[in-house]
Amino acid sequence: MSNSSDAVTMIEPTTKRVTIRECQNKDNISDLPDCIILHILSFLNAKDAVRTCILSSRWKDLWKSLLSLTLHSSHFRTIKIFNKFVSRVLSLRDSSISLHALDFYKIGLMAPHLLKRIVNYALSHNVQRLGLSVVCDIAQIPPTIFSCHTLTYLKLSVYPTRGNREETLFPNSLNLPALTVLDLQNFAFCAGDNGYAEPFLALNRLKQLAISSCTVRDARILRVSSGTLFKLTLHNHSEDFFTIELRTPSLCTFTFTGTPFQFFSKGSFSSVKHVDIDANLFSRYIEPPVFLLSWLRQLSNIKSLIVSATTLQIIALYPDLSKLKLPSLGMLKSLKVKTKPLEYGFCMKLLDVKLEKVKSQKEATKLRKAFKEGLEPSSPIPDGIMDFFIQNSPLAEVEIIDCSWQKAQSTS
Amino acid sequence: MAAEKSSIKIITLIAADGSVFEVEPNIVKEMKTVQSYIDELDQNTVSIPLPNVFGNDLAMIIEYCKKHASEEETKEAKEEFDFEFVKRMKSDDKLRLLQAASYLNMESFLQFMAKAIAAEIENQSVEFVRDYFQIESDFTPEEEAELRKENEWAFK
Repeated sequence: MSNSSDAVTMIEPTTKRVTIRECQNKDNISDLPDCIILHILSFLNAKDAVRTCILSSRWKDLWKSLLSLTLHSSHFRTIKIFNKFVSRVLSLRDSSISLHALDFYKIGLMAPHLLKRIVNYALSHNVQRLGLSVVCDIAQIPPTIFSCHTLTYLKLSVYPTRGNREETLFPNSLNLPALTVLDLQNFAFCAGDNGYAEPFLALNRLKQLAISSCTVRDARILRVSSGTLFKLTLHNHSEDFFTIELRTPSLCTFTFTGTPFQFFSKGSFSSVKHVDIDANLFSRYIEPPVFLLSWLRQLSNIKSLIVSATTLQIIALYPDLSKLKLPSLGMLKSLKVKTKPLEYGFCMKLLDVKLEKVKSQKEATKLRKAFKEGLEPSSPIPDGIMDFFIQNSPLAEVEIIDCSWQKAQSTS
Repeated sequence: MAAEKSSIKIITLIAADGSVFEVEPNIVKEMKTVQSYIDELDQNTVSIPLPNVFGNDLAMIIEYCKKHASEEETKEAKEEFDFEFVKRMKSDDKLRLLQAASYLNMESFLQFMAKAIAAEIENQSVEFVRDYFQIESDFTPEEEAELRKENEWAFK
């Protein structure tokens, strides 16, 4: 990159005017330094990045210097082609250059030797950010991944192989001194000698932790102990019930998506200031409103709360909501509601839950009809719920944010 | 040093076509090229010529910086702004803005533009990419065929 003295001398009105005219007419990109072209390529998947090699002689070997690689099997027609591609990329890449980031995602059973080669390549090239989403037995992942001193970011999703029905057990000993971000999917945490599952104890620099679709084995409590953890993200799709105990005095932000199906032990949220909840439903269960309200009751120091319209729909399922008091939300300064049209699937689950509570067949028929005709739910934000929040949080500034555009973005 | 900086109230940026923009110091915070210019001066007002950036482009960059420097705007509002900002741009605009970002040494705007450009060439043919970047190939058809064969594993 240009240093500051270069940058200043470039501000010379008369001499540089020519350059603009030139680059208006020809090659837009060839005036840019390699590092900026590589920057563009780093946002591409590796297949598109490698294919730039035939654009012109300047581009021929450019991809070999990429500092980050995105290798996803979904970009390839067959797994065989993908495997070959991965192997060639690792052989031809300039191995004198560090690989800062590797994002590897493969569907289908993973060949152990290829997995080993990829992980070892990344680890021997000072990888800092590693994403690995594979189907394999955890024993096939080189254990050195859990004692890598350069890793600052690790995203790991290990689906068990088909013959093996059990979840992937998360290793009990971690030695990742530089790790600040950990994102785990599909793991089972095991209880230690003290009867708790406490897998993150040794991560002394951990700032952000995301846990998706994970469960706890041989214990009912997942304990997260960290003096540095700042942000916790939970994503739950399972029906496994367990308690989460947060011993995280620096935790500031808690984000949740999915179906609320876990309790938090007392004091877990004592330092939390910002909470963002986007809840969903399992149709067969009516507990989620109970869990959600138990969370809200514990948020004693919360300053800002963001909830989705679906979260409000679930809270509104709680009987006698108007009589409920939530003193924990008394100091809330900001309440934001993210709305977008409710999805059909969610409405059907909402109907299922409501049907469980109706007393007569006639009432059920009426309810079904109203849902079918789109009269129920009458709006994304259920009636009376905002009054409930305003009563409990008199100081909060309330804002309703229309997020329909996000949907447009994801489909475009 | 800090006192000198804070004494500057308005910064005047002069684009390649002569158009003039008056902005507050916090707007140009991300433009390291401009910043290094300011740091060397100790005047109350500064006027900085930017001969490699056209007025239309500079206007867009300033609009982006204003939105992102604002403390009142929510994260969501900024994301929505970014989405609309890219949506209304043509391919040429993105490449010019990338060059401007490179010249102005703006890290996060450069990243934003690089990502937007990558999104346009993702999953496209080599011919499309060549046309998009207006690259003239210096390979003979035979050389290109040879290269494709050599790198067959990437073109399946």
